[in-house]
Amino acid sequence: MAATLPGSGSRPEQTLALNMRLLAHHELQGFGGIGEGMGMQITRDRRRVLWLAHESAPKNFTGVDVTDPRAPRVVVQTELPHAKVRSNSLDIVGDTMIVAYQTKEVGMKPAGFDVFDIGKPETPRLVSHFDASGPHSRGVHAVWFVDGEFVHMAGGAADFTPTHPGDDQFYRIIDVRKPSRPVEAGRWWYPGTRAGDSAPPPQRMEPKFDTGFRAHNTNVFPQRPDRAYIGYIDGGAVILDIADKAHPKPVSLWRYSPPFNGFCHTVLPLFDRGLLIVSDECVRDDGLDWPKLVRVVDARVETNLVPIATFPQAPYAAFAHRGGRSGAHNLHENLPVPSSWKSDQIIIGTFFNQGVRAYDISNPYQPQEVAYFVPGAPKMSPAGAVQLNDVYVDDRRIVYTVDRFIGGLYVLEMTI
Amino acid sequence: MAPSPAAAADLLASRLPVTVITGFLGSGKTTLLSRLLRDPGMNRAAVIINEFGEVGIDHELVEASSEQMTLLSNGCLCCTVRTDLQETLRELFVKRRAGEVIDFDRVFLETSGLADPAPVLHSLASDGLLGAQYRLNGVVTLVDAVNGMGSLDIMPEAAKQAAVADRLVITKTDIADAAAVETLEARLHAMNPYALISRAVDGVLDPDSLREITPASMRAMTQDPNRWLMSAGTAGAGAPGEGGSYLGQRIPRTTGTHDAAIHSFCLWFDAPFTWDALTASLQVLTALRGTDLLRVKGIINVEGEAGPVVIHGVQHIFHPPLKLERWHDADRRSRIVFIVRNIPRASIEALFGAVGMLSRA
Repeated sequence: MAATLPGSGSRPEQTLALNMRLLAHHELQGFGGIGEGMGMQITRDRRRVLWLAHESAPKNFTGVDVTDPRAPRVVVQTELPHAKVRSNSLDIVGDTMIVAYQTKEVGMKPAGFDVFDIGKPETPRLVSHFDASGPHSRGVHAVWFVDGEFVHMAGGAADFTPTHPGDDQFYRIIDVRKPSRPVEAGRWWYPGTRAGDSAPPPQRMEPKFDTGFRAHNTNVFPQRPDRAYIGYIDGGAVILDIADKAHPKPVSLWRYSPPFNGFCHTVLPLFDRGLLIVSDECVRDDGLDWPKLVRVVDARVETNLVPIATFPQAPYAAFAHRGGRSGAHNLHENLPVPSSWKSDQIIIGTFFNQGVRAYDISNPYQPQEVAYFVPGAPKMSPAGAVQLNDVYVDDRRIVYTVDRFIGGLYVLEMTI
Repeated sequence: MAPSPAAAADLLASRLPVTVITGFLGSGKTTLLSRLLRDPGMNRAAVIINEFGEVGIDHELVEASSEQMTLLSNGCLCCTVRTDLQETLRELFVKRRAGEVIDFDRVFLETSGLADPAPVLHSLASDGLLGAQYRLNGVVTLVDAVNGMGSLDIMPEAAKQAAVADRLVITKTDIADAAAVETLEARLHAMNPYALISRAVDGVLDPDSLREITPASMRAMTQDPNRWLMSAGTAGAGAPGEGGSYLGQRIPRTTGTHDAAIHSFCLWFDAPFTWDALTASLQVLTALRGTDLLRVKGIINVEGEAGPVVIHGVQHIFHPPLKLERWHDADRRSRIVFIVRNIPRASIEALFGAVGMLSRA
């Protein structure tokens, strides 16, 4: 069967599906470019509201009622103060929502995060703003907020001068137990990335892959409140001991690029199995940073992380030049909140033009792809193909995924 | 933190079902398939056939065609086996992932009339790559009412095809003598009383009847898994007092065996198996008599498992056992259907006795 059918071959307008079924698609009122902030609120009147942080201005965040996953409905959509700021990331505990702000250039505002009371989802109420702006700061890129007490985040600070301008966002812990007055509880940066460090600056990636020594996802779970699992972009996967939040200490720094092409994005621990799932982020179009992978790492000895497998990749020939980015990005992170699905057997991630994909890791040495959904190119997509950016799976096992530019929200059901 | 419900993959639902269609030469596989291809409900099926020429596809149905593949206007994909079947199935899946063929949701596989179906079933069980993507839905064997008797008499492959079937379809009943059809049906029933027998006229068979021959999900049991083990007519056979074989009670068997070499029976076990006892018995059985175990299908109560364990083997190769999440009804007895050649039932009973199951029954 070497021959293919005339006119076959992967076409970006084509929808591809295995064991996932589209329940609904919502273009979010024409502002369907969503970043990597997704969280679900279960309201006091038992509605489910999915909150989405936009990829870029003019919109800040959108709340979508997904109580009936087949009929999503926008309940609120908010504006950013100007075009050089983006929200990108948010997290929710109860009726409190944290929204990140990152500016295009250093020294701009707002750069930090907002605390919102979303008790009435239709009218979010600003409680406070935490300022992370500074002469060398672009603010906050990603937040993690799951316990209602501390925000763990990747951000800059007014007092932080990086040794390289690309290394401006580090790991910060902010105490929000008084939501009206957030205060810093601790911080950690990659040795050598702050001016004045005794350690020399780390060896950078070659320019075409240099995406900086910055924190990205900064995850802390109730199973190990004394550990932070951090994707530190070109620094690789980092495990910190945060038993003393004021003085985080490195437990493990696992740098795998080079030889790989940088940008460690998420470090997801599976505690009962002694595993980490480590995802890259693809950041270049047209396959220029292929392969961007998801790795299975044996973390039984946390000071000696050993990669044991990578998730099987979608075929290069079909996707690398399909349009836009093609490769790993966000994972569903088993958020320790009631609205989140939790599994240490099936891992679901977004892969830009390769869509959303689910992997069975019951045998961690041989992950198997068990489901995928690749929406056809959204209307007027600048990439010419879908660019699925983030994914959230709710406790009903409904999969929500979003396009980075224009496609909006896709609601899916897994049939495995 | 407790994992969410359905946190693991469903090893049945996550694999694409493969239905093997086999049958004697001239039994009407071609007619049946060309009918199936035209069915609107088949719009996401991939059909693998031996040669295009065999299946007469109307030209107006053909949307696109290459040497080995044809896409029909209803979406159905038809392709021919190139070198070997495993390669064809693998390539089909790779092309599906790459969007080069439709995202088919099931496969129908036609074997050649002379073929022994066992190797096809083996390749699904023993090829790791295939096993991860496909599962066997079942074997459908076509027997034509006009020549079927003759084929059964003279061709061992024909008898084997009938013996391994989950569904037996008698074709050409419209041109055969009614009494002959009855005789054929009785003979098939005697050889393989655990297959559902139906009749097709001019290739008309409801495609839905080929869905979910075996359980399609480990969780949401849409139908009684017993249906896979045995057809409605024999569902009760083998239960105590109903004339079947009941291990430990020695009830005389009532299923006659006209085709002396091939016969079948169902063994029932009151006490749960241990994993050790189950594996040991199956290993000994396959090691000693693998070649003559034409088909073994069982629903097993294994100690410590919440639901039944489904076992399935063809000759010396067993698929990995599958754990279903829960029992379908209150009956917790293990039951194993054996379709064998030249193995007395007593030997198999003795074997289970030797590993301790008999005395516990």
